Amino acid sequence: MAAHNLGTELDLSWISKVQVNHPAVLRRAQQVQARRTVKKEWQAAWLLKAVTFIDFTTLSGDDTSSNVQRLCYKAKYPIREDLLKALNMHDKDITTAAVCVYPARVCDAVRALKAAGCNIPVASVATGFPAGQTHLKTRLEEIRLAVEDGATEIDVVINRSLVLTGQWEGSDFIKTSTGKETVNATFPVAIVMLRAIRDFFWKTGNKIGFKPAGGIRSAKDALAWLSLIKEELGDEWLKPELFRIGASTLLSDIERQIYHHVTGRYAAYHDLPMS
Amino acid sequence: MAWQHPADILLEAWLDTQDRHLGHYVNGKWLKPERRNSVPCQDPITGENLAICLQAQAEDVAAAVEAARTALENWSTLPGARRAQHLTRLAKMIQKHQRLLWTLESLVTGRAVREVRDRDVPLAQQLLQYHAVQAHTQEEALAGWEPMGVIGLIVPPTFSFLEMMWRICPALAVGCTVVVLVPPASPAPLLLAQLAGELGSFPGILNMISGPTSLGPVLASQPGVQKVAFCGAVEEGRTLRRTLAGQGLELSLALGAESLLLLTEAADVDSAVEGVVDATWSDRSQGGLRLLIQESVWDETMTRLQARMGRLRVGRGLDGAVDMGARGAAARDLAQRYVHEAQSQGAQVFQAGDVPSDSPFYPPTLISDLPPASPCAQTEVPWPLVVASPFRTAKEALAVANGTPRGGSASVWSERLGQALELGYRLRMGIVWINAHGLRDPAVPTGGCKESGSSWHGGPDGLYEYLRPSGTPARQPSLSENLNYDTFGLAVPSTLPAGPETGPSSAPPYGLFVGGRFQAPGARSSRPIQDSHGNLHGYVAEGGAKDIRGAVEAAHQAAPGWVGQSPGARAALLGALAAALERRESALAARLERHGVELKVAKAEVELSVRRLRAWGARAQAQGHTLQVAELRGPVLRLREPLGVLAIVCPDEWPLLAFVSLLAPALAHGNTVVLVPSGTCPIPALEVCQDVATLLPAGLVNVVTGDRDHLTRCLALHQDVQALWYFGSVQGSQFVEWASAGNLKPVWVNRGLPRAWDQDAEGAGPELGLRAAQTKALWLPMGD
Repeated sequence: MAAHNLGTELDLSWISKVQVNHPAVLRRAQQVQARRTVKKEWQAAWLLKAVTFIDFTTLSGDDTSSNVQRLCYKAKYPIREDLLKALNMHDKDITTAAVCVYPARVCDAVRALKAAGCNIPVASVATGFPAGQTHLKTRLEEIRLAVEDGATEIDVVINRSLVLTGQWEGSDFIKTSTGKETVNATFPVAIVMLRAIRDFFWKTGNKIGFKPAGGIRSAKDALAWLSLIKEELGDEWLKPELFRIGASTLLSDIERQIYHHVTGRYAAYHDLPMS
Repeated sequence: MAWQHPADILLEAWLDTQDRHLGHYVNGKWLKPERRNSVPCQDPITGENLAICLQAQAEDVAAAVEAARTALENWSTLPGARRAQHLTRLAKMIQKHQRLLWTLESLVTGRAVREVRDRDVPLAQQLLQYHAVQAHTQEEALAGWEPMGVIGLIVPPTFSFLEMMWRICPALAVGCTVVVLVPPASPAPLLLAQLAGELGSFPGILNMISGPTSLGPVLASQPGVQKVAFCGAVEEGRTLRRTLAGQGLELSLALGAESLLLLTEAADVDSAVEGVVDATWSDRSQGGLRLLIQESVWDETMTRLQARMGRLRVGRGLDGAVDMGARGAAARDLAQRYVHEAQSQGAQVFQAGDVPSDSPFYPPTLISDLPPASPCAQTEVPWPLVVASPFRTAKEALAVANGTPRGGSASVWSERLGQALELGYRLRMGIVWINAHGLRDPAVPTGGCKESGSSWHGGPDGLYEYLRPSGTPARQPSLSENLNYDTFGLAVPSTLPAGPETGPSSAPPYGLFVGGRFQAPGARSSRPIQDSHGNLHGYVAEGGAKDIRGAVEAAHQAAPGWVGQSPGARAALLGALAAALERRESALAARLERHGVELKVAKAEVELSVRRLRAWGARAQAQGHTLQVAELRGPVLRLREPLGVLAIVCPDEWPLLAFVSLLAPALAHGNTVVLVPSGTCPIPALEVCQDVATLLPAGLVNVVTGDRDHLTRCLALHQDVQALWYFGSVQGSQFVEWASAGNLKPVWVNRGLPRAWDQDAEGAGPELGLRAAQTKALWLPMGD
């Protein structure tokens, strides 16, 4: 995690001066997906890079220690060893950026990762995820407990009733959505958020991270997100300290694409280890 | 051999079918005559020779025009539905072979393949489909109009095949056939013609001749060519206008490629910066950009713009991940020259982006601090340059933006609705986008005004470019003669007193009607007007250059007030003038009678004149309309705006009716006018002026009598007259066409041919309304 955002005086004039032209942002969102179509070895490189940004996530009601353990193992070995060897990337320690679980599963995750012998951080959603509509006291307690269990990153759901009434909060990272809404990470919304991150950096020197979550399932989507970050914020933001993709099924599609790149054949589902 | 992209292989295969030897495509067949010069078609990056392209000679051009003429007989008489079917088939043909088309276009022009593949090719298909629909409804929607005939199209090297499609589609749709003079070594148009040819039927409707622009006059002089459409540089257009003067054909010009972006402090600056990228650094447009930034957001905008420029990628067009390709040595040198000159005049130059170091590329460039009075600030900004300058208020921005001879396209960036609309309406440009830049759609007319040329493509306006009112005589065999442009109308023959004023009617009004009142002419001399018996009817003032100057000034002063009037208010004033004419009927009829018109006919002429005034007043109220565009939320307004100061030289015949028939549409559409009335019988027009003086605002209508050739010369050469209609001699028409090259004003000349002013088709037809106003497309994308 990068240096913490030490915060600044709240200056609402920054917000009131912001102009966003909706149709123009929509056009930009459309363009950004088509302007950096990378192919072949460049595509493979970008896909491996994308793996290192993934907050590998399971947020199901029926999560148990066994599937969390499987998730953690996959986080450590996201791409089949022989494929990485073929790309000569087997010794680069490619893992996902973090694993992301419910607070009650943090213990399982920490244990599993320890067993796998790696120091991938454990992120936990907390504070009444996904609605955030619980008492402040229990929300704070939830965070404290998750940290106690070994979580090093907390995805906090802010109280959106405060946002809608103009009472803002600060953070190190901003996330598009919980992934549990009907509409989650979309490009137009992301563009507006990224521009806000850039403006904040220009004004204060603080770099705020960005995490799109929900609905990012294909390798192609992931590449578009990477190119969006590169275009709007630049290479400095293309590192796990400042950019994460919250996803659960994305990794298997990336692995399939890499399989195809290496072998020239399309993989069957059983060719690749499940998570 | 280096690794090849599959697209390259496809391309090589096509070139091999022609043995790497491209000729012309005429009458559905390749035409490869012997003993012609040839130029190599090269990959602009590697310099590798792709093929050899033959250069046409006059006889090849003649063969192509002959093929188009033959094809015209059948094509123009087909039912619109049949033509629609054929255009739809061509759209499908393009769809089937789009990969070859976009590879070829991107490789040879150097433009980013993304732009060609994702925008140009789909738009080409949409153009064909839109115009197929227009052809389908032609008999109904365009009744009273007929296709002009064979159209010659001249495209310069820097224009894309899409620009050609914008013009070919409407021409073919309405029943014209086309000969295109494509620049040497540009195979994409040839491929397109081949695709059209391979449809089998109607082979001669689209013919491509490859050769230098200097063949343009040869193409124009072929008998049968009714119109030449040219797009390219302003100076080339001017030269062509002069060369083709008096040849009896229509010429439409689309000149220059510079665009303008106006960024106010109320803008979404990040989106506006993307607008700058769209306008210049994304291979979408051909030209550079003039960027006006409000002072209060200057620093912020420049920071963001420079940061954005750093992320642009320049490279080989066929690379799917570049923003900008290369445009060949000529474009690069032009940019380089401009930058050097700007630097020497004190400008700051910022260049950035990921640019390969080899020579054909030129980096995205931002120029600022260019002194407004420096020569560079006046010349057109070339690709890929952006020249930024600050402004303080919206009013100042308008003055700067409108203070150039160019009138192509512009965008306005402001989140304040009132301000955005005010700027959008008042920019003197053919196209204005609000909070967007460079959007195009087949249903929206695209064109310009001022020196950008007043031709249109797309939408209804694009169709009228290739139509003429049914029954208009075709082009006469070339009448162009060696008119001495230096002396035409230069001297005014002196006139002496010509005997006693006799006859029944009272003394006619005397003087030039300028600025709302009768004035003595600057030359302080008069010319006698004789009646049909040779007796002196009266004297009229002998107007000259200074009187024209005064009349044009008066018209300009009256313009803002008249433009500001609602069409309803204009109609009311025209109605009042009509009523006044009715009251003056007997006096006017008497004047006409003295010039040999039978009393009954004279009365009919007055009556018809009254009707014309009322009719145009009513028509002016139904102006412009809203267009709905696919994929755009929000409307596009098609506005019909006044031309400005319109000069009209009236015919000698129908001294009252022709005068009123021309005056009425001009006024109804919001123009202010300077008229030269009938030379043989100017007195009825002066009679009307007595009512104009009391009813209409001063300066709105100005009537100058005198030597017609001399006055025509003064008006045609006047740089601040926005349009000129001339009804007179063959020589006069030729001179007007030649002289209009000065400020490229649209002109309408009769080439010495009479017109049936008493017939509604010719005296009050829709043609007059079309010519009396100019179109502007105002794009209003919406979203919350």
